[in-house]
Amino acid sequence: MSEYTVVGQTVARVDAVEKVTGAAQYGADVHPPGMLYGKLVRSKHAHANILSIDTSAAEKLPGVRAIITQADVPSGRRVFATDKVLYLGEPLAAVAATDADIAEEAAELIHIEYEVLPVVQDVMAAIKPSAPGLHGDATKDGPNRRDINAQIRKLSREKEADHSDEISALEAELEKYPDEVYYNISAESHSEAGDVEKGFAESDVVVEDTYVIPRVHQTYMEPHVSVASADSSGKVTVWASTQGPFAIRSGIAGTLGIPLTQINVIGTTMGGGFGGRFGVIITHVPAVLLSQKTGRPVRVQMTREEEFVDGRPAPGCVIKLKTGATHDGRILARQALAFWDSGSVSGASIGSTIRVRGVYKIPNLKVDAYGVHTNKSGTAAYRAPGAPQAIFAGESQLDEIAERIGMDPVKFRLMNMREEGDAVPAGGSEPKVGYKETLEAVADAAGWWDREAGENQGWGVAVGDWTNGCGPGGVYVSVHEDGSVRIFHGSMDITGTDTAISQIIAEILTVPYKSVTITRGDTDSAPYSTGSGGSVVTFTMGNTAKLAAEDAHQRVLELASERLNTNVDNLELRAGAVHVITADPPKSISLGELAAYSLSTTGGPIVGKGSFARQASTPALAAQIAKVEVDPGTGRTRVLKLVASQDVGFAINPMAVEGQIEGGTVQGYAWAMMEEMQYGENGNINPGFVDYRVPTSADLPTVESVIVEVPAPNGPYGAKGVGEPPITPTLATMANAVKDAIGVRITELPIKPEKVVDALKNNGH
Amino acid sequence: MAKHPVSLTVNGDEHDLLIEPRKTLLAVLRDTIGLTGTKEGCSTGDCGACTVIVEGKAVTSCMVLGVTAAGKEITTIEGLASDGALHPVQRAFIETGGYQCGFCTPGFIIAAKALLDENPARTEEEFRHALGGNICRCTGYTKILEAVMQAAEEIRTTA
Repeated sequence: MSEYTVVGQTVARVDAVEKVTGAAQYGADVHPPGMLYGKLVRSKHAHANILSIDTSAAEKLPGVRAIITQADVPSGRRVFATDKVLYLGEPLAAVAATDADIAEEAAELIHIEYEVLPVVQDVMAAIKPSAPGLHGDATKDGPNRRDINAQIRKLSREKEADHSDEISALEAELEKYPDEVYYNISAESHSEAGDVEKGFAESDVVVEDTYVIPRVHQTYMEPHVSVASADSSGKVTVWASTQGPFAIRSGIAGTLGIPLTQINVIGTTMGGGFGGRFGVIITHVPAVLLSQKTGRPVRVQMTREEEFVDGRPAPGCVIKLKTGATHDGRILARQALAFWDSGSVSGASIGSTIRVRGVYKIPNLKVDAYGVHTNKSGTAAYRAPGAPQAIFAGESQLDEIAERIGMDPVKFRLMNMREEGDAVPAGGSEPKVGYKETLEAVADAAGWWDREAGENQGWGVAVGDWTNGCGPGGVYVSVHEDGSVRIFHGSMDITGTDTAISQIIAEILTVPYKSVTITRGDTDSAPYSTGSGGSVVTFTMGNTAKLAAEDAHQRVLELASERLNTNVDNLELRAGAVHVITADPPKSISLGELAAYSLSTTGGPIVGKGSFARQASTPALAAQIAKVEVDPGTGRTRVLKLVASQDVGFAINPMAVEGQIEGGTVQGYAWAMMEEMQYGENGNINPGFVDYRVPTSADLPTVESVIVEVPAPNGPYGAKGVGEPPITPTLATMANAVKDAIGVRITELPIKPEKVVDALKNNGH
Repeated sequence: MAKHPVSLTVNGDEHDLLIEPRKTLLAVLRDTIGLTGTKEGCSTGDCGACTVIVEGKAVTSCMVLGVTAAGKEITTIEGLASDGALHPVQRAFIETGGYQCGFCTPGFIIAAKALLDENPARTEEEFRHALGGNICRCTGYTKILEAVMQAAEEIRTTA
């Protein structure tokens, strides 16, 4: 069926053997001679002033080689907290020792004196006037309110006298501040199209609800790790488990004031990233500082517990959403007000709130989103950052509307989906997309149209959209005298991208996939490459690879033209040889012969170069259907069927694409049903796999994946980014299925058994 | 901390080592012997990335002290291929796409191998539960189960 011989085929990945034999080298497998073990010293309080840091006892421990604090950061840029900590686990110092256990012992011997401050960990509490202002003047913390809060704190500390009446009066004063003034705001984003008030007024049905989505951890299986080695010339080498070695290079350079030429970042095999390993530099900078101080290589490796307290997880949020529609099923208006928990720094994916618009024609849309400071670590990207949260709200509410107007949820969505040329609410117009095809494909595959549900069983559907990113990259291709093809580039492999690049180049140079090898350079040797996140790699590096292979292809034809004494127009590269199209008898020369010949030509060896940075991407849709059974006694939900379709444009390696769909869907399932970073009075209280449950093979059935291919005009062979879309609809898919099974809408994730039991009880069951 | 003399056999090779009693078997394998194929994912026995076979049983090596493995026979991921040929489980993981980032893969392959040695005639549902001690964050488990079922089939038909 396919006109292609290598792309579009399932092939074993280029890194297959090293990954199944334990040979692949991950960050913690790097062990240069003389390496020391680094350990970060972390705050034991979620909000506190630091009164003193005493390292004297730790310094005396045999085997300790260095202890550093902010005073040891020559650039003065903040690496460690000094006067104040804003979350449990915030780094205050770092130790290097000859052994990992000694480093840990030393970290425990560092004595820190704290003055504990009031803690706020819930976004809705943090925006209230009564919340402590985490960044003082840096936020919208009104001056009067700050004064009142300071008075309350002062009175509360005075233990000798009872000030409870005064405190109550001051608290009452605080409550007078209007609700719409939000405090502890780290960032905001607003957009509007049409007139929502008018839209709601014209609607026959209006539904309004508040959706609560928890903070979850990307939970890549390899915790953050870096190994740094600073030599006496000042050159710094960093082995980093990262999605973006070039971003790490600039991050280290910026933080420590080291020129780019003095830093080489070597990306090690990455044990999962999902966005959490993009530009995050928690371990890299301390490793470099410790190595500079000791003159020895230093490894800083986080434990799983450290991952939970000081990783950069996905932000939780609260979304108040309102949707209006007509009796005949047209969505007229939607309005969202969202508060994203950005933790101690700004940066949650607040801009993604716009994704509540989904892929529907909504003439009137208004979105107001705020990032809110709380006493937690900062956040980072997690697979389609912000989209699963916003789409959970949007797609849950869509089902409520469908139910109220008595329309099938799939038909309701199909009816409202945008088509090519339609206006996108608050931004541009729709290119050619496969929204309807993808939803219809999953409905057909799941048996939606003749679905049956037994007692306590239910079906749920949802769709989620995402558009892959794009970024700069460079690839070199060379052809060797045995006819083999070598690729050189600098982008990190993210679960199969090196394989896709190899397939594309094999396709263009018409050689078997097995004749291609691929080598990744470090930041000293490879051309600049964008980070491997945002579903960019196959799109960006695929296009780059294509250009490089086409460049080599051109040189091959020129060499053949010289060698065969005929015009390039008479030549064709096919099955690893250049053929003279019109020759009778047939005349050809193999790639290997041409490569050998090239070595003695003026032009030299066959080297193709590809360089690419930007092209418009096309949106992709993921559509999913789940069938569940809920035990009303225990509240446990069992998945009976989970089907996921996705418009991938073109599947370069179908097995790898299925793997992305299956993996993303299960991460979405886990966010819906199991995962939640929990916070007590003093920070995260579930920093381990016993209390923070991620799914195992025992939790789920087989995920059925359905590949839909509506080509993207600018993608290599029509390919779109595939990594992120599959997580986007699953949260709502599961909530919609549970609603169908028990008749009660759960708007607060995760849908743990106790929540189901409570929901049933509150509804008189 | 005082070190203790310990002899253990890893993938058929005998090692005479001096190790601190607080070092886990995982630390001994990775840091002392240099076999880094076995991974550290949680250090609390919950993720299965550090699974090795000790005397025929799959165990999480982060939960075993190195000194207690004295005299025992240990198989790690590096010891699975024989005579240059991959083990059927390793081949099946490649052919079905049963791995992505690969970090959990050594633990999964070792756990599956131990289960298959014990009884290759389990159903898929039984394997799903038997492998519940290993966490994979990339694959969603569908292709891992395919790999294990494929290897089980091969082992049953060639045994």
